[in-house]
Amino acid sequence: MLLLVLSIVGAFYGSEKASQFFNSLPLIVYWLVLMTILVAGLVTFRRLIRVPGLLLVHLGCISILVGAMWGSNGGYRLQKKFFGIDKAPFGYMLIYEQTAENSIVAEDDKVLAKLPFSIYLEDFRMEYYSSRSYLLVENQNGDIWQIPDEVGAELDLNEGKIKIVRIFRNFKIDISSDKKVTTDAAGAGMNPAIEINIELPDGISKQKYVFAKFLQKSYSDDGLKFTYVSQQTSAVKDYFSDVIILEEEKQIAKKTIEVNHPLHHGGYHFYQSSYDPEEGQYTVLTVYSDSGLNMVYGGYLMLSLAVLWQFWFRHFLTFFKRYRNGD
Amino acid sequence: MEIKYTTLGLLLYIAIAIYFLTFVIRLLRFTKLAKALYFLGFAVMLVAFGYRWYQVRHIPMQNLFEVFLTLSMLIYPLSIFCRRTLQVGGETTDALIASILLVPAGFIFNAEPQKLPPALQSWLFAPHVAVYMLSYVIMVKAAVQAFCHLFYSPNSESELPVSFEQSTYRMVCLGFPLLTLGLLLGSWWGKLAWGDYWGWDPKEMWSLASWLVYVGYFHFRYMFGKKHPRINSSWVIVGMTVIIITLLWVNLSKLFSGLHSYAM
Repeated sequence: MLLLVLSIVGAFYGSEKASQFFNSLPLIVYWLVLMTILVAGLVTFRRLIRVPGLLLVHLGCISILVGAMWGSNGGYRLQKKFFGIDKAPFGYMLIYEQTAENSIVAEDDKVLAKLPFSIYLEDFRMEYYSSRSYLLVENQNGDIWQIPDEVGAELDLNEGKIKIVRIFRNFKIDISSDKKVTTDAAGAGMNPAIEINIELPDGISKQKYVFAKFLQKSYSDDGLKFTYVSQQTSAVKDYFSDVIILEEEKQIAKKTIEVNHPLHHGGYHFYQSSYDPEEGQYTVLTVYSDSGLNMVYGGYLMLSLAVLWQFWFRHFLTFFKRYRNGD
Repeated sequence: MEIKYTTLGLLLYIAIAIYFLTFVIRLLRFTKLAKALYFLGFAVMLVAFGYRWYQVRHIPMQNLFEVFLTLSMLIYPLSIFCRRTLQVGGETTDALIASILLVPAGFIFNAEPQKLPPALQSWLFAPHVAVYMLSYVIMVKAAVQAFCHLFYSPNSESELPVSFEQSTYRMVCLGFPLLTLGLLLGSWWGKLAWGDYWGWDPKEMWSLASWLVYVGYFHFRYMFGKKHPRINSSWVIVGMTVIIITLLWVNLSKLFSGLHSYAM
């Protein structure tokens, strides 16, 4: 009942204030008392141990509480004091393209922890919902084909096989270094472009950029003319950070971090959080330590199985047995 | 309030009319006709649901318009399941509720198709929301049974040889695992999308509160339910109230702003 009342009170506080409230000392005492009551209940009421569903429900709740407390701010202080585990519970990483970073920082840029590995950002990109955009391909006979502006879309012609490799909302190229680097700059779609790969009949592949604002007036050597018709929307479909994990300068793993697909490595989860709104040159990852998470997930699993068994499957089994016995 | 002069709007208005007619005809005890109409209403809703799915290119559960459309669509199959499997009646009220649920969808909520933002592009979107929608519909039915138990004579017979109190219990037993799964799937999704399995968001807090009400119901019923059966039913009505707050007040009120604010 008290937890019910506290939940309703917490709902009126808002996320930040509720988080502080539920992690305050009086509530820490409450959580400990609640856990004690759950354990005491298991010991006192034998039925809770005899009935598998009820046992699992209560064990699941205990597991969730233990995991949550281990992963709380207080839990991290205990980890550091008694076990020497020094992890940052939460922070950010700002990583520029073509650079590596291993510091977790707070909102005020104070360094919270240094990771034993680095994260190198190969590229940050965004995907937009685009409607009615397409690539027109024309050969010297005047035949015209249309393919949608989707990465992976292909067109197989006598002149060659054309595949869309990348779509730029705002194409920019950095020629300051020896290696020319193309990026999709953030902000309004001022220079839409498509990168295509053309595989010629002789097996040679070449790369080409087609710009919506710069029309190709004549046919190129391959005998084709490309026109990109772009009608972009501003609705963001997804954000992507292509990263490489480096340990002692060696590449350990590669991953694309996007919303709903975080990176999990070295006891931390890395989430796509924000980006450079001007140039799209850096990404911001939110970093969470995974302390206590397995216990919480274990508790979730126990709780799910328990309620399904106790309220559904147990009755289905009884009904099925009666049916088999002809009752 | 605005009238939706679209195909989907037309389907909704037809469904409202059919469901309401079902309710009236059931009251007049033309059972066979009412059954046929009830099924017809469901068929119209199924078409509306499918049409919306095709229109938005994802399962239509993103905003309140789609949620209420889904809730109304689920009522008929639930009615049939409860009658046949749990011996719980109440189809007359179910038809009325299906009609009422479509009114805000048909006249109030914005039906403009929306693109899915990145956070909703997850395989957990459908199971989390669908499971919650189904649990809400079941708990509405439980609340109706509880209401009948409280405001009719305790000794009066319901349509079937199961008392209102027992019907309430059966419905809550059916819906509680779904409510639990909805809460846990949402937490898991929150971890994948935002980094934290519990963000103390108002929606999360009210969802936990609604779950705790039914936990309280089970504990009370086990310990004191035989002596105080009317309090059992009161728990369920309180649970329904908390669910309504979770679904509507949290989304619509500026009092609660949080990560679930897009579901409008």
